[in-house]
Amino acid sequence: MLTFLRRRIVSSALPLLVVVLGVFALARLTGNPASLYLPLNATEQMRADFTEKNGLDNPIWVQMADYFAGVLRLDFGQSLRTGESAAAMALRAFPATLQLAGTTMLLAVVLAVIVGSWAALKPNGIADRISSFVSMAAASVPDFWLAIMGIWVFAITLGWLPTSGVGGLSSWVLPILTLLLRPFGVLVQIVRGAMVSSLSEPYIKLARSKGASEFRVVTRHALRNAAAPALTVAGDLAVGLINGAVVVESIFGWPGIGKLMIDSILQRDFAVLQAAVLLTAISIFILNILIDLGYAGLDARVRPAGKRSKASKAATAVLTEPKEGKRYVQTAP
Amino acid sequence: MSFSLSRSASRRASRGVVVGTAVAASAVLLLSSCSVANSEPTAGAGSSDTIRIVLSQEPPTLEACESNLTSTGVVMRSNVTEPLVERNPTTGDLDPLLATSWEQTSDTEWTFTLRDDVTFSDGTPFNAEAAAFTIDRAVNSDLACNVEGYVFGDDDLVVNAVDDTTLTVTTVSPDPILPLRLSFIEIVPTSTDATAKVREPIGTGPYVIAQWDTGTKLTLERNDDYWGAAPAYATAEYQWRSEGTVRAAMITSGEADIAMGLGPDDGVGDLGLDYPNNETVALRMTAEIAPLNDIRVREAVNYAIDKSGIIDSLYQGAHIAAAQLVPEGIVGHNADLQPWEFDIDKAKALVAEAKADGVPVDETITIVARNAQFPKVSEMSQVLQEQLTQAGLTVELKMVDTTQHLQYQLRPFVDNEGAIALLIQHGNQAGDAQFSADQYMTTTGAQSVYGTAEFDAMLEAASTKTGAERQAAYEDIFEYQNDEIVQFAFISHQTGTIGKAANVNYTPNSSSGDELRIAEITPAS
Amino acid sequence: MSKPPRNVIQLPTGGRAVAPPGTEAIALPRPDVADKKISLFHLLFKDRFATAAAIVLVFVGLTALFGPMLMGDLATRQDLSATNRPPFSHGDGWAFILGSDSLGRSMVARLVVATQTTLSVALPAVAVSLVIGSLWGVWAGYHRGIRETISMRIADVIMSFPSLLLAVVILYVFSPSAANIVLILAVTRIPIYLRTARAESAELQSRTFVDAARTFGTKPNAIIRRHVIPVVLPTLLTLATLEFCYVMLAESSLSFLGIGIQPPDVSWGLMVAQGRQYLQTAWWLSLFPGLAIVLTTVAANVLASWLRIATDPAQRWRLTLPRKRMIMRISPKEVQ
Repeated sequence: MLTFLRRRIVSSALPLLVVVLGVFALARLTGNPASLYLPLNATEQMRADFTEKNGLDNPIWVQMADYFAGVLRLDFGQSLRTGESAAAMALRAFPATLQLAGTTMLLAVVLAVIVGSWAALKPNGIADRISSFVSMAAASVPDFWLAIMGIWVFAITLGWLPTSGVGGLSSWVLPILTLLLRPFGVLVQIVRGAMVSSLSEPYIKLARSKGASEFRVVTRHALRNAAAPALTVAGDLAVGLINGAVVVESIFGWPGIGKLMIDSILQRDFAVLQAAVLLTAISIFILNILIDLGYAGLDARVRPAGKRSKASKAATAVLTEPKEGKRYVQTAP
Repeated sequence: MSFSLSRSASRRASRGVVVGTAVAASAVLLLSSCSVANSEPTAGAGSSDTIRIVLSQEPPTLEACESNLTSTGVVMRSNVTEPLVERNPTTGDLDPLLATSWEQTSDTEWTFTLRDDVTFSDGTPFNAEAAAFTIDRAVNSDLACNVEGYVFGDDDLVVNAVDDTTLTVTTVSPDPILPLRLSFIEIVPTSTDATAKVREPIGTGPYVIAQWDTGTKLTLERNDDYWGAAPAYATAEYQWRSEGTVRAAMITSGEADIAMGLGPDDGVGDLGLDYPNNETVALRMTAEIAPLNDIRVREAVNYAIDKSGIIDSLYQGAHIAAAQLVPEGIVGHNADLQPWEFDIDKAKALVAEAKADGVPVDETITIVARNAQFPKVSEMSQVLQEQLTQAGLTVELKMVDTTQHLQYQLRPFVDNEGAIALLIQHGNQAGDAQFSADQYMTTTGAQSVYGTAEFDAMLEAASTKTGAERQAAYEDIFEYQNDEIVQFAFISHQTGTIGKAANVNYTPNSSSGDELRIAEITPAS
Repeated sequence: MSKPPRNVIQLPTGGRAVAPPGTEAIALPRPDVADKKISLFHLLFKDRFATAAAIVLVFVGLTALFGPMLMGDLATRQDLSATNRPPFSHGDGWAFILGSDSLGRSMVARLVVATQTTLSVALPAVAVSLVIGSLWGVWAGYHRGIRETISMRIADVIMSFPSLLLAVVILYVFSPSAANIVLILAVTRIPIYLRTARAESAELQSRTFVDAARTFGTKPNAIIRRHVIPVVLPTLLTLATLEFCYVMLAESSLSFLGIGIQPPDVSWGLMVAQGRQYLQTAWWLSLFPGLAIVLTTVAANVLASWLRIATDPAQRWRLTLPRKRMIMRISPKEVQ
């Protein structure tokens, strides 16, 4: 496992570099932000001074080299907009998004597992149909529409919740609910499909005939096997949340990194954008490594090939040869 | 997508479960503090001591020399910092503030007498030296302050602190409105960094910056050493929400007392107050690029726009059709000038006439508008495109963001995309037409795409006049623009909407959007 | 088609074939084409939800193809005196049955024209990312080793790249057009198919039938084409349906941020985004396009999940049973 970790971290360094360089280049493609930061009738000279002071007139590889030299000194540049250190702004905004995304995914997974398993117990029954329809509908609603409707219904009309902002527990409810629906909807379908398959396996019948309670059957036996696909999808959704909670953060005034990113894109605040992207990219890579660990832990067959250890070779051998009359049949969800 | 596992692999499955639980547990630990990282909880119900204001965007900085930028000035001006003189938005006159009196002692020199009983909130005394330092820093230095570009142009000022309460300011050329220009300079102490902009400056005003949770909330506290009358509220809290509907919702649900920048459909209902906010909306046409280089085509554009139709349908009739770049109340506004009539037949005839003369009227004109610049900008742009097309022109619409819009708006303009009709919104904060005319109407103006030598001479002459002569000169200039130059197709003078909770008394005026004076807000009894 | 191998017991059509103990089940040969066609429709009508979904999708498709022609210029005709007219008020004619928008244009007409724009963005985006991502993933999963590692790392790069930045850059540096939005949406979603296809393809590596094919000397591409893709395809198609929904939502989020489809073009997402300022006064501006999005994606999902079962010979039996039997907890092994 350690070798795997080490290899993954090393091999993640290059993609990280590519992401940062890509953002660097693309951001500068949007043009010179001078007119946004200078007074209205700035002269050509002022524009030239500004461009030179921020190093924007150098060729792109010189700018990149300067930037990386700075990164090695842990200097990520300063915001053109506020003058603060870009790293400080990114680090301040990130935990807020992490809290929001983390809580949302946790709730989504738990709820999806409960609802998906319940629906899978009776495939094509009423519960299944309803939960399928509801989950598909939940996954199809535009998030900003949901946010504004939520504010209108719960904050204005009913007055149960605050409209926006950060604060006590009640201000978390609407943002989380808004962000929750789509991951929940998607995960319910995945969990349901995977549970239907694993509930139809012979060892489930074996467990039931041994007199195991339904709850035990579902959680201890079926759920474990449904965990793999659910894990991958949950991970992808989490990544999407980190990068994509922008809309919810804008509407609710949540001081997160999504809002920071869109503001710095629209204001061409390059240093802050690069710092924010670096931070989210690192966290996404860590998340992917965790997912791969979990996934590989669940299914030895999909461990990344390479220097295959004796143990993993043995595991694969075991799995390809039928033993004790068990059959290995791929069933579609 | 399911996997059947052998019994030996189930051990690995349980390991996967352990990993997953570890991840979940760490996530829960992260969230166990139950408060959003790095922020104080925002106030729920208001206390009678705190006024809660919600803006449309966070101030990027509170640097005093940037306070002509609306997002900075709305917090700073006359709250934390103060200028020497202040323009009264209702009367248009200059009121004394940190200066008690002033006079023009020569063609190019003004002398100001300053108050002697004022201290900055850090204890240092306010005197002519501080005033001179501030003006120097804002206008003459390399800081590239926004107020320099907006108010002063390229010329430097020579300031001299004669003694503690006397200040002389000398201009390069005679400037009758220098005191008005100085009303944009917010005074800071000499301890302020002169080589870099300062995020949270110190001032002489009734409030001090108490705490700024960047991204979340900004708090001002009453300055107990303030030289003037103490304001009613001890604390002012600023928050920001980008959606107008959310700002309106905060008013109706009691989470905020004042909400800025609301639109007509944001749902604030009776709690909204309309006020004329000095903003004028117009199309600025590239009068040197075909087909807009023919004056008949530009006149056709003016005739084709149904101004009252737009105002009635989009803005519920609250705005006023415009005939010039500045609204009533600004020195130089020509009250006799009528907006161009809406006459689609006349527009079509003019276009046909130009076409017969060989003008390429089929060449595409692009209307460029900025997203979210003002409420319903997108709707208005679509209406304009439709109406100009009805006149027989080929018109496309391009919606862009702020940075892109500035490329079209400021020198050097975009000159490789054909004829452009830029939708601009101009707010004359100063109260004098010269600010608008210099920017938009001279041949070399920073935001002007067209001018003539004759017009330049008129503008130059008007800038040196005073009093009734000045008023008359600028009135002529606006009339001349509409008759001979036609660089613009004016649409409307706008009104803004402020949301005000019932427990608060405040009457907005034309400068409320740029300068929200907390001292003018009082609790309702 | 070739005859089934002798050691496979084949039940009548619709039944499930099970191999005797010790042998692995081999994918069944496909039944006759004509036979399949008839029974597909037959199966469809048996499932009311799937039928409804199919009807909805056909309707949407026809609207997208022929609607704009029928609407003419109704979608762009402004009428400033009749803005924000509420729906279901019969006095204004059929064109305003769903009300009018903030510029007096007919909601019905705009919805119809928007259908074409939305589908012409969503379908190509999904198709492009599906094809590229799947082929790439299957190839990477089959070959393993360095090819797999590099592909996965490229997928990581694309996934952690902020799609917003890409969208802003593409939109403002190049021209803001539907084609560019398709490009952005397609490129940013490739990793989803890539990872899933790779995982499934890698898992299949250990299957006997793949090993057997290799032993016979079949070329890798042929193995991929004949053995790997058919097995991987159902999962990927499920994913594609989910992604179809995501792409439509992403398009509306881009419109919310002002960097999606630009006016005067119209799409469902743009209509929802534009209508959000009027939620309290003219709720129909956002509701109807939002409903359109939800109904289309739900229908697509329902039909796709039905299709998945119907086209998998090992699972079709589920659809042929009368409803009562279907909801009992039976395992496939009992059907013999």
